[in-house]
Amino acid sequence: MPDFLEITIDKFTFKVATDRFYSKEGVWAKEEKRRVRIGLSDFVQQRSGDVAFAEIKPVGTLLAVTEEVVVVETIKVNIAYLSPVSGKIVEVNPAMTVAPEAINQDPYGTGWLTVIEVADWETERARLLDPQAYFESMKRQAEEEVKKP
Amino acid sequence: MTSPTQKVMIVPCSGIGKAYGTVSREAAYAVTEDLRPTKTRLVPLALLVLGDEDSRTDIASYPVITIDGCKLACAAKMVRQSGGTVVQEFAVLDGYRRHKDLKPQGIAELNEGGQKLACVLAEEVAVVVDGIMSRNHGGENA
Repeated sequence: MPDFLEITIDKFTFKVATDRFYSKEGVWAKEEKRRVRIGLSDFVQQRSGDVAFAEIKPVGTLLAVTEEVVVVETIKVNIAYLSPVSGKIVEVNPAMTVAPEAINQDPYGTGWLTVIEVADWETERARLLDPQAYFESMKRQAEEEVKKP
Repeated sequence: MTSPTQKVMIVPCSGIGKAYGTVSREAAYAVTEDLRPTKTRLVPLALLVLGDEDSRTDIASYPVITIDGCKLACAAKMVRQSGGTVVQEFAVLDGYRRHKDLKPQGIAELNEGGQKLACVLAEEVAVVVDGIMSRNHGGENA
């Protein structure tokens, strides 16, 4: 179980897992021996709402950084999320076809989206936010959301 | 709970201003007014929230089916909190997952997909109502 940075804003509590890195949009990337598992942050899943479908690019797809990796349809919106790293998709979470609600229930665990084989993790990581930096960014976004009428 | 069961209470979501909440209410209206009017009664969630005594008595006396718009499942939670027994929970989102072509949109007026999804859900609820009544009447489908 990862440790979390945590903040409660209004009636919502948001967690940021400290064992991975993040894109500014809130897609997390966790290195696992030249492979990178990715998923959506707790803040992103809460802001997006209950997931109805998650359409992930298939195994074998070559992705450039910021290329679309998944389209998530929730009860509120349809959102395309961009890959935080470049590489080849080598695994897709099979649960996403039958139980995409895992994204809401366990965003840092069983709700992962895909595994990408990367050529150079150090270079990829340099483009990402560390947990503390993402936490600060997420906090600002959440506070702005709360101020909206 | 009385025996044999004379009615099944239907409690839909009160998500006003949301397409999925509207689907849940349309489905509840279809069951209680069109499909199984003699076997069911609609209990508005708002009355349970307000602590209305008649509504609380109804859900404590009869089996309850809830139809929730989202996974917060306010209807199911409120029924249990009010002393009722939920025999089956329906979620509009689950129904949509089974019928991807029926995407609900619109609030005051549901789109065609939403209306069809409400009908599909209503049919599913009606089947459950029949099952409950049948069990409680020893096979008689009253």
